[in-house]
Amino acid sequence: MRRLIASGVLIMIVYAAVMVISTAIAAPTSMDGFTQFFSPENYGELYGGITGDWQKLGQPFTQLQSELFWKIFLGVITVIPGVFLLHFLIVGAKSFAHDGPQILFFNFFTRIVHWIGAISFALLVITGLLIIFGAIFGGGAPIRLARHIHIINAMVFAVIAVFMFLIWVKDMFPTFYDIKWIFILGGYLSKKKKPVPAGKFNAGQKAWFWLATVGGGIMAYTGYIIWGMNGDLDTVRLYTIVHNVLGMVLISLFLTHLYMSLFAIKGSLHSMISGYKPKEEVDILHSRYKYE
Amino acid sequence: MTNSLNDIRHTKSMIFIGSNATENHPVSMQHILHAKEVNNAPIIVVDPRFTKLAAKATEFVRVRPGSDCAFIMGLVNEVIANGWEDKEFIRTRVAGYQEMVEVAKHYTPEAVEDVTGIPAEQTRRVAKILAQNRPTSLTWCMGGTQHTIGSSITRAFCILQLVLGNMGKSGGGTNIFRGHDNVQGATDMCVLSHSLPGYYGLSDGAWKHWCRVWDVDYDYIVGRFPDKEWMGKKGFTLARWYEGVLAEEELETPSPVKALIQWGCGTNSNSQYNRVVKALNKLELLVIVDPFPTAAAALTKTDNVYLLPGASQYETSGSVTSTSRQFQWRFKVVDPVYDSKDDYEIMSLLVSKLGFADEFYKNIKEVPEDITREINKGTLTIGYNGQTPERIKKHMENWHTFDIEDLQAKGGPCDGDYYGMPWPCWTEEHPGTPILYDVSKPVAEGGLPFRNRFGLEKTYDSSGRKENQLAADGVYNPGSEVKGGYPEFKDVVPGTNWKTDLTQETLKTAIKRGMAPFGNARARCVVWNFPDQVPIHREPLHSPRPDLIEKYPTYEDQPNHYRVMTRYKSEQKPELVKEFPYVLTTGRMVEHMGGGAETRSSKYLSELQPEMYAEINPRLANNLGIRKDDMVVIESPEGSKIKVKAFITPRVDDKTIFLPYHFAGTLMGESYLKDYPEGHEPYVVGDPGNTVTNYGYDIITQIQATKDGLCKVTRA
Amino acid sequence: MARMRFLCDTERCIDCSGCVIACKEGNHVPVGINRRRVITMKQGEPGEKSISVACMHCSDAPCIAVCPVDAIYQRDDGVVLVSKKTCIGCGYCFMACPFGAPQFPKGSVFGARGAMDKCTFCAGGPEENFSKEEKKLYGQNRIAEGKVPMCASMCATKALLAGDGDVVADVFRERVFNRGSGVNAWGWNKAYKKS
Repeated sequence: MRRLIASGVLIMIVYAAVMVISTAIAAPTSMDGFTQFFSPENYGELYGGITGDWQKLGQPFTQLQSELFWKIFLGVITVIPGVFLLHFLIVGAKSFAHDGPQILFFNFFTRIVHWIGAISFALLVITGLLIIFGAIFGGGAPIRLARHIHIINAMVFAVIAVFMFLIWVKDMFPTFYDIKWIFILGGYLSKKKKPVPAGKFNAGQKAWFWLATVGGGIMAYTGYIIWGMNGDLDTVRLYTIVHNVLGMVLISLFLTHLYMSLFAIKGSLHSMISGYKPKEEVDILHSRYKYE
Repeated sequence: MTNSLNDIRHTKSMIFIGSNATENHPVSMQHILHAKEVNNAPIIVVDPRFTKLAAKATEFVRVRPGSDCAFIMGLVNEVIANGWEDKEFIRTRVAGYQEMVEVAKHYTPEAVEDVTGIPAEQTRRVAKILAQNRPTSLTWCMGGTQHTIGSSITRAFCILQLVLGNMGKSGGGTNIFRGHDNVQGATDMCVLSHSLPGYYGLSDGAWKHWCRVWDVDYDYIVGRFPDKEWMGKKGFTLARWYEGVLAEEELETPSPVKALIQWGCGTNSNSQYNRVVKALNKLELLVIVDPFPTAAAALTKTDNVYLLPGASQYETSGSVTSTSRQFQWRFKVVDPVYDSKDDYEIMSLLVSKLGFADEFYKNIKEVPEDITREINKGTLTIGYNGQTPERIKKHMENWHTFDIEDLQAKGGPCDGDYYGMPWPCWTEEHPGTPILYDVSKPVAEGGLPFRNRFGLEKTYDSSGRKENQLAADGVYNPGSEVKGGYPEFKDVVPGTNWKTDLTQETLKTAIKRGMAPFGNARARCVVWNFPDQVPIHREPLHSPRPDLIEKYPTYEDQPNHYRVMTRYKSEQKPELVKEFPYVLTTGRMVEHMGGGAETRSSKYLSELQPEMYAEINPRLANNLGIRKDDMVVIESPEGSKIKVKAFITPRVDDKTIFLPYHFAGTLMGESYLKDYPEGHEPYVVGDPGNTVTNYGYDIITQIQATKDGLCKVTRA
Repeated sequence: MARMRFLCDTERCIDCSGCVIACKEGNHVPVGINRRRVITMKQGEPGEKSISVACMHCSDAPCIAVCPVDAIYQRDDGVVLVSKKTCIGCGYCFMACPFGAPQFPKGSVFGARGAMDKCTFCAGGPEENFSKEEKKLYGQNRIAEGKVPMCASMCATKALLAGDGDVVADVFRERVFNRGSGVNAWGWNKAYKKS
């Protein structure tokens, strides 16, 4: 419990630091935008860069954003939980004895990193969805706040993602039995406790890892470009499309991860709090795990 | 301006020489483009730069700065050579024609090409366009006048219009666009050193006339001068006042200039700005009256500088005369803000302190109406009589009744009047004269012949021919008692003439007889009291064509030219071009105005034009290794330098550098913003372009030659 | 009902920026925000053309389509307006707009963009007409006063036309007829094709 509080405090410190730094960066200067944009020459270029490019990505962006993206996002956040609900009702959760031998799976540092990442990522998903479906909430101050939270959390997550990557990358390279794992969908379609082919992390977790870290990095970078319009407009449009599409994938996997850890495997959440997994669970779900 | 801005709507072709109306007179463009669109009138733009006006032109003629006269005389020659001149107009209304033709003959299209760089074929084409599309409206501005031969150039413009028979016609005329809403008014009031108001000159008769108007004793005025002889002598000009302070040149003055009042004047519009700054710091007293601190306020390092916050035009009222010679009334919008005072109040306080308020304000009880009335009373030469404050205000209140096409009120309280009663408006019943020298209308309805100003007869020096200066028989305004030329009116009231008869009886008599008070004469092509009787080309003092200096040399040096020695021949050195190979010309940009004290203090205008720059052709920039946004140093033959940003653009050709002159606040990149009064710094500062404009002054008017200097350009 | 439209006649536009200044002064737009600007193509060369561009108040406006919070809306007279209180400053409208109309002042938090600002056709905003708040957020409401927008009213050469689309089209058609040549109004088709 003390560790929990400690990690909570750490998270808050990171947030506070990021807020102070980012506010300082954004302090407005008096004659901003004078020479930068409006010398006679830049005029033409600036504008050429705007209208000239519209036919390239302006139109696709407009169509995707207005007609497609929100529908897919709606699909992602309704269909995936729906599928999982069916799974839960039909197949049900796997449960393993927690009173048996325990194996230290995640050390303290790993768990702290995970939870900071988890909270910031969850907030990114929630605020991201709030922005996408902002119209439902009437926009304005709440959604503006969501946007600001999105920006802060992006900065937090960008840092955490680096740690995550370094901690876990050695266990995350694909192996041959990962293919098998994929074919049997990790054994989640059956109630039987049959050992599934997976090392410390199964193929699903590996996919999640790569997408969350590398994909998260891409999200952070594209988000940074969109935030500051740091690039010519067509690049910004492209990045916005990438940000949205990748966002769909990440939300899908995020929801999967949530379901797995909270519902599909009973007590799974506990392992990320205490750091220990029951040996039975390891033997079944991570049958190729090499004990030290 | 002989016609009006609106009258350009009726033109069949337009030629602009040294005028960039799109940037300097944007409002005029609605009439210019109307003529282009509706009349299909070609627009010919003659300029060293491909200006924004050239972008609207049908024919762009790139002329070498300072060679305008050669081009125009070339057009005159080409028109005459093809028999396109208006023979009847010339026979009846033009004097000295044959003498002029003899001179013009020299300017064949090929000779013009050599001097101006304009292809002979283009000169021929332009002449043909002008001949086939009459009447032509001819416009010039500072690009035509700011040369050592500026006065000859302007006369050449007039001669072209006379030869084509475009004077006194709707759609024709010489239409000089003035730079502010009251430059014409300021000129008419002769805010100059060589004339009393209304172009009366400085003769005894002129002084006596104005003393009668002011109702002060002539001897009292004489007593104000150190010696009577100085009353009749020209003073220093705006272009060279600082020489009077510095006293480094040979002067003809009782004492050097010690004090200066700058009333709404940005010093950085003066050429040779380095010397101006030196003079400002040598003055014993400098008073600056302006809504914004001008560059002079920041530049002076001395203590004896006084800044008086003058009110803007919106905080005061009074009459102004527009470029179309129209009178308008400025109404006050708000009281002067903060501690500023309007010009009338500052003047009144100054005059009271100096102790001649009684004489100064003898006729003026109600400000500003009585000032206009005093002007009405005395300025008879150009018919400032009929525009009473009451009539002006009536016009302002009935804008909607005036026709946009001919500016005449159709019905309403101003029925029959032309808008603003363009001068001459001889009496309070006169409608104003919308087009000068138009003999198709009765004088009482705005018609006018050419003025009889220079005697009745003249024997020309060049040919020995004697010519009657009055108009030929058959040329007269409808209703005229005399059906031909007649001299000016005098002795209607004994001892006076039409210019000095304050009872205005002479004017009324003339109008009643259907005649112009100033006579009916010919326009002269030969001006025998000028150094060049017929306009000829002379190379600029600092010429980029040393080979032409011998063929077209400049004038002899002029001692006591407006009190100061002015060099011509001794300044014209053929070898100069080797070290200073590029032609330097200056101009305005649409966002800023004059010295820029006001516009550079507007955040929005500053946002649009935030930097001083030099326009450089891409080819020249590449040859000199100058890239976009590089800083360049421009050096004048006088040794002064500025550091500005390079603006690489094909607007100028590869031998010419263009500078806008609105900037001040830095010198060689070093800012003196800290020297402005706190909180009054302009948003935008830059090196003053006039620091590097060259030596050179017009032979008649002494206007500065800012358009045709030489310079050296290096990458900073 | 009248459909409000802008049209800039490139044969008339002289690049004086009078419209820009009129807009800024009239609506007290902050420095750096350009509801309207003048663009010059082929500067200094034969064929130089200038055009004044602002929000075109498009039919089927892309900005409205992409706005995630529905902050942008179109009035019955075709004027496209933004509710600054609803806008979250995401910038999607800027990416969607073919004319570069949406402008974003720097917000106070993390350098994030503030609420979008753009040409209002001088029709104020969603707040009550002539209210203090409307004036502060959006500037003048000249349409409600029965006047044309500042920019068009100030245009020296009448290059910039604004008002009922039918009237604007008639004025322009007459000009083109007078010129005797086909001068196409830039942006007109792109903005209004569907209405």
